[in-house]
This record gives sequence, C-alpha cells and structure tokens, in this order.
Amino acid sequence: MARGSIPILRVGDNLLVTVQTDLHDAVAEAFQEDLLAAIEKTGAAGLLIDVTGLDIVDSYVARVLADTAKMARLMGTDTVIVGIRPEVAATLVRMGYTMSGVRTALNVDDGLAMLPARR
Amino acid sequence: MVTNFMHRLNIDDRGLASRRAFFEITDEDLARLATHRGLAESHSGEVVEKLYHLLLGHPESRAFFPDDSSVRRVKQLQHTYFLGLFEGRCDLAYVENRLRVGAAHERIGLAPQWYIGAYGRYLRLIFDHLFGELGAAEAQAAVQSATKLVLFDMSLAIDTYIAANLDTVARHQAAIREMSTPVIKVHQGVLLLPLIGTVDSHRAEQIMETLLMRVVEEQARAVIVDIAGVPLVDTMVADHLLKTTEAVRLLGAQTILTGISAQIARTIVQLGVDISAMHTRARLADGIVLALSLLGREITAKAP
Amino acid sequence: MSDQVLSRDDLPVTTEGDVVTVRRRAQAVAQARGLGTFAVAAVTTAASELARNTLTHGRGGDASVEAVARDGRQGVRLTFRDQGPGIADLSRALAGGFSTARSLGLGLSGSRRLVDEFDIDTTPGKGTVVTVIKWARF
Repeated sequence: MARGSIPILRVGDNLLVTVQTDLHDAVAEAFQEDLLAAIEKTGAAGLLIDVTGLDIVDSYVARVLADTAKMARLMGTDTVIVGIRPEVAATLVRMGYTMSGVRTALNVDDGLAMLPARR
Repeated sequence: MVTNFMHRLNIDDRGLASRRAFFEITDEDLARLATHRGLAESHSGEVVEKLYHLLLGHPESRAFFPDDSSVRRVKQLQHTYFLGLFEGRCDLAYVENRLRVGAAHERIGLAPQWYIGAYGRYLRLIFDHLFGELGAAEAQAAVQSATKLVLFDMSLAIDTYIAANLDTVARHQAAIREMSTPVIKVHQGVLLLPLIGTVDSHRAEQIMETLLMRVVEEQARAVIVDIAGVPLVDTMVADHLLKTTEAVRLLGAQTILTGISAQIARTIVQLGVDISAMHTRARLADGIVLALSLLGREITAKAP
Repeated sequence: MSDQVLSRDDLPVTTEGDVVTVRRRAQAVAQARGLGTFAVAAVTTAASELARNTLTHGRGGDASVEAVARDGRQGVRLTFRDQGPGIADLSRALAGGFSTARSLGLGLSGSRRLVDEFDIDTTPGKGTVVTVIKWARF
C-alpha cells in the first residue's frame, strides 16, 4: 500500500480520516506521517480517526493510533477515535492494553460534537 | 443436520478411511458380506421381528414407540438398515445414512443403553443364521466381517448421539446466558444492566460481550451497571467491572456503577481496587439521573 | 494430546506482509470452525502479536495454522517457530508490562490472555516455539 493512500478529508476546522486497510508497519508509519503533515499544513482544531473498518487492532496498531493522538495533541490538535468495534474493544482490554488518554466516540457525529471549533 | 454431523465427526474421504482402518474393515469384508445378501434377504423379516420383540418387551424402550403405525414405520426402516450391512459398501453415502440413526435417537431421547442392547441382539441373530446355513470356516469369516461393520455402525451412532447432545447443551447454555444478561434500554442512549447472582470469569466475559454489542446497536452513550444483586464482589469481579468500563469507554460510551452497598464500598477500598475511572452511585435511581445528565437531559417536575 | 488435525497451513514469517497473511489465515480458519465474533477477533489478534514476535524478536521463522477438534469441540491451533535468541527471562516476559524488541512484553502476555491454551518452549540462543489454541465456545 502506497503512501497517501488513506484519504484525509477536511470537515470545517477538523480533519476526518477513515482507516479501512490492514495497518501493518509500513502503512501505519505512512499513515502517521501523512496525518501529522496534514495537521501541520492545515492547523486543524481537531482530528477524527474513524476505525469502523478495522476488524483487527493489535497492540502495534493500537500504539500507532494512541501515539498519533499524542503527537497531534503536542501540535495543538485534539483527536477523537470513533467506531471501535465491540470485538476490538474487548480484545484490547483482555490483552491488558489501555489506550489511556485517547478520547473515543461512538460515531462521527458524536466525535465532531466533542471537538471544539477553533476560537 | 446430517451433513453437519459428517463435518463434526470429521467424516470426509480421509476421516472415513481412518475410521474404517481402525475397525479393520477391508474390501474383502464388504465383498464377503455382499455374497451373503441373498441369505440376509430371506431372513430379514424374521430378524426385524425378533429385534422388536426385545425392544417392545421392555416398558422403557417400548415407550419410544407410541402406536402401531410408528412400529410399522420403524420396522420398515430397520429392514433397510439390516440389508444395508450386506450391500458390500462402506462409503460416505453409507455413513451419512448411518448417522441419521444416531441423530434420530438423540432427538427422541433414546439413550445408548437401548440401542447398544439392540445391536447385541442383532449380532446374535446374524450369527445364528450364518452358522446355521454356512460351513464353519465361511461362517466364522462372515461373522467377523459382520461384527466389524455392526460395531462400526455403533460407533457412528454413539458419536452422533454425543455430538447432538452437546448441541442441545449448547442451546440451553445460550438461552441461560441470554437470560443472565438482560440489557434494558431505559432511555434513548441509556442502557441498564442489572447484575443478579454470582459473577464468575466465564459469565463476566459474556456480560462484557453482550453489553458491548448492545452499546453499538443502540448507539448508547451511557451504560448503568447495577450490582445490588451480586452477593460477592471480590478482586476478580472488581477487575472485570473495570475492564468492562474501559471497553465501553473505547466504544465511546460511559459506564455508571450503581447498587454499591456500604459493604461493597468497604470491600472495594479494602481490596485496594482503583475505581476512580468509573462513575459510581449508591442507588440505581441516582445512576439514571446521572446518565441523563451525561446526555444533557434531566428529569423535572411537571409545571403545576 | 488427542487433538484431531483437520487442516494445516504452513506459512513463512519473514516479512511484515507475512504477519498479515498469517493473521488473515487464522481469522479465516477460526470463522470456518464456527468461533464467535469475539473469539475470532481474539485469536486473530493473538496471531498478529505472536507473528510479530517471531519476526522482530525471533528474527523470522514460520507459523502453522491448524483447524483442530477435541471431544467434538472445534478450534484453531497456531504454532510459531523461530531460531532466534530465545527468551532469557520467560516469567517476566509472560507477566507483561515490559518491552524489549518492540512489543514482546504485551505480545506474549497479551496473547496468552486471548487464547484458551498457551504453551511456550524457549531456549536462550536456540529459539522459541509458541503454541496456542482457541476453542469455539458452547
């Protein structure tokens, strides 16, 4: 999977990205770089990552997601992860992985409502 | 149904070959039995009659044949079954046919005791005829072949009986599970799970799964877990509640724990469990008020 | 152990892409064996964690994905083998919470919590074999 293949949409002051492919290392790193570059360029107030399409989130992918949110925070952008599936949530918790500090929402609408518009 | 059992008992070309090999059923055995088909046909009526003499002679086994017409029907089936032993084949179609027997027995609740006894009678009847009408050497060989095939059939019948029985148990457990995790929608976006009875690890996992599914189905933003009916809250239960809360949070919803008695509060603190990540309330009613406020709603008195 | 092996796939674990192939195979077999959604996610994630361990910690190896049956129960058995450095402090690795070579800590301890049976055989300097089973629940 090539770089830049995960489309990043602008919704008002926010960025919306929908993950649907298997995030193995190369893709996950490109994904993180692309997102941070987009934040740098747009100065977005918020970032929504929709993971409804992910049926598997292992500790590696979970960490990429959590790290991306932390990096975005450092750049002044709030991140909300939306659409984590029941079986994915249960698996992460059973493994003992806590995505502490990561904000979550049931769907894109709820997620957008959690992100304050800039100023 | 029978196809399912073929799969469950691993009966494909390879599985069948391995099972046949274990029962030492050779092509010569099958061919030998086929040469005695004429003998089988001439005695099949009598064999079936004597078999049912046994089955109908005991009140417990008789109870499975409610009336004359059902007796006539099963006798006809038995006829076909008996001649099947002398067809000279033991292939997938043969096994599929035999599997129906075990599944049918489980369905009507006929326990192995009754048909193992019946298989015994069967073998003695077959032996009598083979020894009565064939030379000693040929009779000896035919008896061995017939024994192998009948015991092979018996193994299929019992394996199917066990598999069907496991299915029944699974259905009952699923029903009990459903009843033990009643997730109630108390308001748009608010779910209530009243936990009653002992929570062991297995049940805790079930509870989490059911709750997570419902949160997504209902797009619920608040979940109230009421533990007033849980007799014992130990470290394990507290740990499961924390895990469930974290999993619910990952979906984008919040958990409120209610029904916390003085004793449970004491236990939780003494165990050193950190439940600061959870909303908690002593009473369910307060939990509902909190859930609604999380959704930006409130219960107010009607204007006078 | 009297497990019946109904099918077996042997797959290499030498690239990132192999990790994806192994977990997709584990997922397909788990679904075909009748495991529920949660059990499928658990065993697929365990496959991913363990394959990643084989790749990064074990310096590559191979994996088997098997459909198994025991006493009428259906399950998936995964085996990961490498000839890597082995794990010196196994009890610490299984306790989780520490991490050498990326996610080894959570990879082992986390996958153990996701499966029904977990077996590990490791010799420092020789390599590691991890075998796990996830059963379909009644």
